[in-house]
Amino acid sequence: MPPKPHRVLLDRVSGYADEAAAYMRRRRIARRPFARLYYATGRSADHADDSTSGAELFVAAGRLIEVAGKRPKG
Amino acid sequence: MIQEARARDTVGIFTYMADAATTEVAPGDAAEAALAFLGEMSLDLRGAAILDSGGAVMAAAGDHDRWREDAAVLLEVADRAGGEPAEQVHVATEQGEVFALRHAGLTAVAVTERFALASLMFFDMRSILRDLALTNSTGGEG
Repeated sequence: MPPKPHRVLLDRVSGYADEAAAYMRRRRIARRPFARLYYATGRSADHADDSTSGAELFVAAGRLIEVAGKRPKG
Repeated sequence: MIQEARARDTVGIFTYMADAATTEVAPGDAAEAALAFLGEMSLDLRGAAILDSGGAVMAAAGDHDRWREDAAVLLEVADRAGGEPAEQVHVATEQGEVFALRHAGLTAVAVTERFALASLMFFDMRSILRDLALTNSTGGEG
């Protein structure tokens, strides 16, 4: 006996939600700090944190994070 | 007959419409409003600033001097790193994420929680800068 149509839809939506949740979990675990620059020409460049430019970008970003402070509550 | 009446009324309506030049908004106020709007759109936002073409702070969440100095350092480092002016900067650290975007002579700098969606942040930042640039060119300081 075939499943009811709404059951198929629910299963499909649940499947997508599970996939998305798994993706976000993997992203949180696997993601490393990075510095990425984009240019008007469409070019983009990654700067590793062990490079001079990358280290400078991380220091500059750290100062801005300090200025911004914590997220306001509410 | 109806068309004549409608035409007469329509002329009347347009006669009373406010002219763009009469609804001037100070650039600083518009920037503050844009920043507040960015905060509403971006739930991950911790703080942000909008700078003019000279690097002066138009609006910022917190200490204006610190935002001006630190944003200038970030942009200077970014420009030096690539040998040309960077249009967008995205630095993701363990403590949070930093975004900077240049558009129409203005710069927006934002700090968010970790894992904020970069494409959405840049879209929102570009959107407020576009509106702000439009406001400045039409009604702001003229």
